[in-house]
Amino acid sequence: MQRDIAIVAQAQVMTDSLDIPRERMLFDLVKGLFDKVGITRHDIDGFVLNSNDFEVGHTIANVFEDTPCGAYMKDETHVEADGMWAAQYTTMRLLSGNYDTALVVGNSSGASTFRPYLVMDYQLNPTYDRQLGILNELSTAALQARAYMAKYGAEEDDFNEIAARLLRNAALNPYAVRSKADATAGDVLASDYLYEPLRQLACYPFTDGACAMILASGKRAKELTDKPVWIKGMGNSVDTYYVGERDLATSKSARMAGERAYKLAGISNPAKQIDVAEVSAKFAYQEPIISEALGLFKEGSAGKVASKGLADLGGSMPVCPSGGGLGAYVFTANGLVRVAECVRQLKGEAGEAQVSGAKTALAHSQDGFCAQHNGVMVLSTEEG
Amino acid sequence: MSAQQERIVATAVVPLDFTYNYRVGQYVERYIKGLGQKKIMGVKCPGDASVIVPPRKYCGRCNEIMNEWVEVGPEGTIENFTIAHVNLNKGVVEKADTEYIVALVKLDGATSLLPAKVLGVSPVDVEVGMRVKAVFKDPVEDSLEDLSHFEPAG
Repeated sequence: MQRDIAIVAQAQVMTDSLDIPRERMLFDLVKGLFDKVGITRHDIDGFVLNSNDFEVGHTIANVFEDTPCGAYMKDETHVEADGMWAAQYTTMRLLSGNYDTALVVGNSSGASTFRPYLVMDYQLNPTYDRQLGILNELSTAALQARAYMAKYGAEEDDFNEIAARLLRNAALNPYAVRSKADATAGDVLASDYLYEPLRQLACYPFTDGACAMILASGKRAKELTDKPVWIKGMGNSVDTYYVGERDLATSKSARMAGERAYKLAGISNPAKQIDVAEVSAKFAYQEPIISEALGLFKEGSAGKVASKGLADLGGSMPVCPSGGGLGAYVFTANGLVRVAECVRQLKGEAGEAQVSGAKTALAHSQDGFCAQHNGVMVLSTEEG
Repeated sequence: MSAQQERIVATAVVPLDFTYNYRVGQYVERYIKGLGQKKIMGVKCPGDASVIVPPRKYCGRCNEIMNEWVEVGPEGTIENFTIAHVNLNKGVVEKADTEYIVALVKLDGATSLLPAKVLGVSPVDVEVGMRVKAVFKDPVEDSLEDLSHFEPAG
């Protein structure tokens, strides 16, 4: 990229119930982040906030988010799509050279204020799909899972193994709202079917939460932290909305998003060059579809990856040591949380979930039915 | 978070009660008129020759206007399906009284898959590749619901 940009620091907060008002959640989070880094809001040149009007329940959702985030009278803008897009736009602003320090904040209250499945219902085409009530977040997801099983001969048990691994990893993540330290595929199998093969424990938990991150130009970043996390590449790609016109078993748009990010980051062999990946999967079955599209594993290899533990914490390609979307899913900001988790890994702050020696990390985000829109960021401990 | 330390004494429940009015557009109107004659109409893209049902005007891949109308079905093949154990009612998961089949059906002559309910076959017997046929409401009402569901063909 034409200018070195780094993530200085990140902060997260997550809960599974209506604990505190959104404004206070944001104030405590952002003020805490400023204090940790040793700056005030006056040190921030540009603010990019991320939330969803429909989910928050009023137009221009950020109206009441600006003040607690410190954006009073500041250069501020808002992103409705997943929070990774907010992080990408923030990076672009810094790349322009017109900003040296920026704050990105994403938040959602899918556990308390509004139902994520209803947000998805209102993403349906209003004049056709929404009229018929056949498609919804769960039925489309189940069809995508079935498509992968049919194309590659995968079994439901492969997905249950993935879910169990993520729930175990989530037990190592202080921010997770759902976890089980000794989770097995049998636990997932024992949970109820929603739409086959989706079982309750293989679906994302409703979560209230927020994620904040300070980004800066290279020089400024080095003044603010000893461990800047460098943004090496980013990309995104959007597929068609229509699930009946897509090969649901693979994700062409995730592949293209990855290729665009890899090109910028100089990555030719992602499975070798990436040390840890944080993939946005709302459902366990999505993890192999996306990580395979990103070149981390061979196409159709979910069963082998699970049985050999390749994506486990000690495996050759750890995926979602945080527990990913099965531990907590901050609706509309999940991709931003994936970036934050990569930052924790690359700063060596991931505690028991630390991938030792992690130098290069991949964060992925998605939006829409069956991950219609995909985004990727590649991060590194190494400058330049 | 310190919910335990604080007693929540008030929550504001705020319904939003309003209606959006959409013109469905000439393509969906023509599709509905077709259903009223128990015909399923699709459109063909001049660029990649794909036949799309339900019809819409624009092909994303080719950035072209799809303008050739083609009758498809009424029979087709189940390409993918899921067995539903629940209903989503305004975003709330509710257990379904009986399990039911949601399928993606490839209508004869179409390229795209149509999301549809399949009745007349037990969820344990349904399979990919099964031939099905469209069942229309009788009498038809000139609405999207005129294409009621699919059932096994023959």
